[in-house]
Amino acid sequence: MHRKSTGYLFVLPALLVLGMLIAYPVAYTGLLSVTDNQGNLVGLDNFRAILGARATPTAFFNTLWWVVGSIVFQVVLGVLTAILLNQKFRGRAIVRSVTLIPWVVPGIVAATTWAWMLHTEFGIINYMLTAPGVLEEPVGWLTNGSTVLPVMIAINVWKMFPFVAIMVLAGLQSISNDLYEAARIDGASFWEEVWYVMLPQVRPVIVAVTLLLVIWALNHITIIYAITRGGPANRTLITPIQIFRTAFESVQFNQAAALSVMFFAVAITVVFFYIRTTAGNAGASK
Amino acid sequence: MGSVSIRDVRKSYGSMEILHGVSIDIADGEFVVLVGPSGCGKSTLLRMLAGLEEITGGEIAIDDKVVNALHPKERDIAMVFQSYALYPHMTVAQNMGFSLKLGRAPKEEIGRRVAKAADMLSLTPYLDRYPRQLSGGQRQRVAMGRAMVRDPKVFLFDEPLSNLDAKLRVQMRSEIKQNHQRLKTTTVYVTHDQIEAMTMADRIVVMHDGVVEQIGTPLELYDFPRNLFVAAFIGSPSMNILSGKLSGNSFITADSSAINLPFIPASTNDETVSLGIRPEHFALDPNGMAAEVITVEPTGSETQVAMLLGGHEVVAVFRERITTRPGECLTVKLDPERIHLFDGQSGLRLGQD
Ligand SMILES: Nc1ncnc2c1ncn2[C@@H]1O[C@H](COP(=O)(O)OP(=O)(O)O)[C@@H](O)[C@H]1O
Ligand SMILES: [Mg+2]
Repeated sequence: MHRKSTGYLFVLPALLVLGMLIAYPVAYTGLLSVTDNQGNLVGLDNFRAILGARATPTAFFNTLWWVVGSIVFQVVLGVLTAILLNQKFRGRAIVRSVTLIPWVVPGIVAATTWAWMLHTEFGIINYMLTAPGVLEEPVGWLTNGSTVLPVMIAINVWKMFPFVAIMVLAGLQSISNDLYEAARIDGASFWEEVWYVMLPQVRPVIVAVTLLLVIWALNHITIIYAITRGGPANRTLITPIQIFRTAFESVQFNQAAALSVMFFAVAITVVFFYIRTTAGNAGASK
Repeated sequence: MGSVSIRDVRKSYGSMEILHGVSIDIADGEFVVLVGPSGCGKSTLLRMLAGLEEITGGEIAIDDKVVNALHPKERDIAMVFQSYALYPHMTVAQNMGFSLKLGRAPKEEIGRRVAKAADMLSLTPYLDRYPRQLSGGQRQRVAMGRAMVRDPKVFLFDEPLSNLDAKLRVQMRSEIKQNHQRLKTTTVYVTHDQIEAMTMADRIVVMHDGVVEQIGTPLELYDFPRNLFVAAFIGSPSMNILSGKLSGNSFITADSSAINLPFIPASTNDETVSLGIRPEHFALDPNGMAAEVITVEPTGSETQVAMLLGGHEVVAVFRERITTRPGECLTVKLDPERIHLFDGQSGLRLGQD
């Protein structure tokens, strides 16, 4: 009894800080979502209003594209890179470090740099594509409605695939060399080694990393907001940016809170799966 | 069906030569054991045979076909690793059938061959288990099963029993031997344990520091070791080595006692030589040499005595139950027929020609 209460005493400060920083904002958001800007209870009016807004379904489908597109390419490119970096070749240490650069560069710096490089008239990308004649005329990467979301996804993939690569590489390095040799003696080609030995062994890592990436893609603001703010014509408006803009640009905190609450429900489901998966792995590995 | 021919094979890592020209001929169906102390290059040689290491120099042929440039899968060999190297995410049956699956064998055939191997190794009840659900001995069997299912030309084993406890090791030793007698597949087996080598091998290759010291049947190596290294390495407790000089047909020990020799070695006289005598080749004899007892270790079937003889500490094993205590004196005789002489410089065996 005595020892237990002493324990609570020790975690109390941390619990207080957590309570103020997390529980209070969450609870307050919940309260905002069912009140108007005078603080009167209005039931589900805010939910109705925001769900009725024209931007909401657009943002929903943009978010879907954004998350699925980002995750698929981040995981595929990350895993392939990890497999490559796990091979023995000259200069491997340097290539490994260089691969990490996008992940290390601050998001806002990366976004600004990409915005310059993608500029229709002065950007280096259009210059490099038009000068040798690959493209007839410059493409408005960030202004053309059909290219802008794919470009955002590409930048996000570029930013995050090193993270996948490094995590999967760590997993690959923990595979005993004997297993590869056994597979080679059993007659496996390189891609059969990848498919039958490497991937099954790093599957738990890939699952955990994928769920993390989903959470991060769902929460994403930096790159898109810094480059397009959701435009042009809401083509890159994803739900977190819609929430942000509803709250701080349109100053409709109550509707933003209502959208947040719904979004929170989705995000918490993913987090739940993440925790269950990673906890399951920890249990299974020993 | 598979003979193996290793011809003057060398291996270097960078500028370090690890194997200095190794030649071994292995007949079809033979069980050959490579034995030697840790770090002498046994695994390296085996891995070169498997195609897991480049061959720096020389040639390796399987069934008269030079395989230097071939990938492991083109050599028709199977290997059992010290760590077993079972695929953790595959069941026992999947582990054993993996090579057939990669070879695009039909499902029924895979099933049939896996079942047959599992039956031979008493693994049938475990086919659906994962490696982590098996004991060490069972994993070892799965590793062997994976090799057997393929029916290769040559089996390669790299210290397959060193992770097992002593009792299981003895049991697996005889199982491997029995399987070999049934399958008659050419086998190259690496171990650092000379008892394993003696009990299992048709022929033993003794290696040391990247060279072959001697090749022969277990009893050839035991009775006629070609040099001091083989003499000391084979046998347990190991051969006693006394250094001294030759004088006529006697061997003069460091403390000037004389031991009569059954023969007079040809070239050497008055030179330093080493005399080797195995522990079991001492006999109690009232007219023998005096030896002071240091320790006595009865095992029931025999008595092992460490004693001081001619200035050397030697170990003798007597079949009879002798009652003696440390500090007392025994009189012992060396069986003259079983004395080995080695050149003091080169360590080579001195014959009686
Ligand atoms: N990849 C390697 N690079 C450098 N030296 C190695 C390598 N593999 C083995 N060696 C060296 O080769 C020698 C023989 O090794 P090994 O064949 O494993 O010996 P054994 O199996 O007889 O114990 C050892 O001295 C070891 O240090
Ligand atoms: Mg070894």
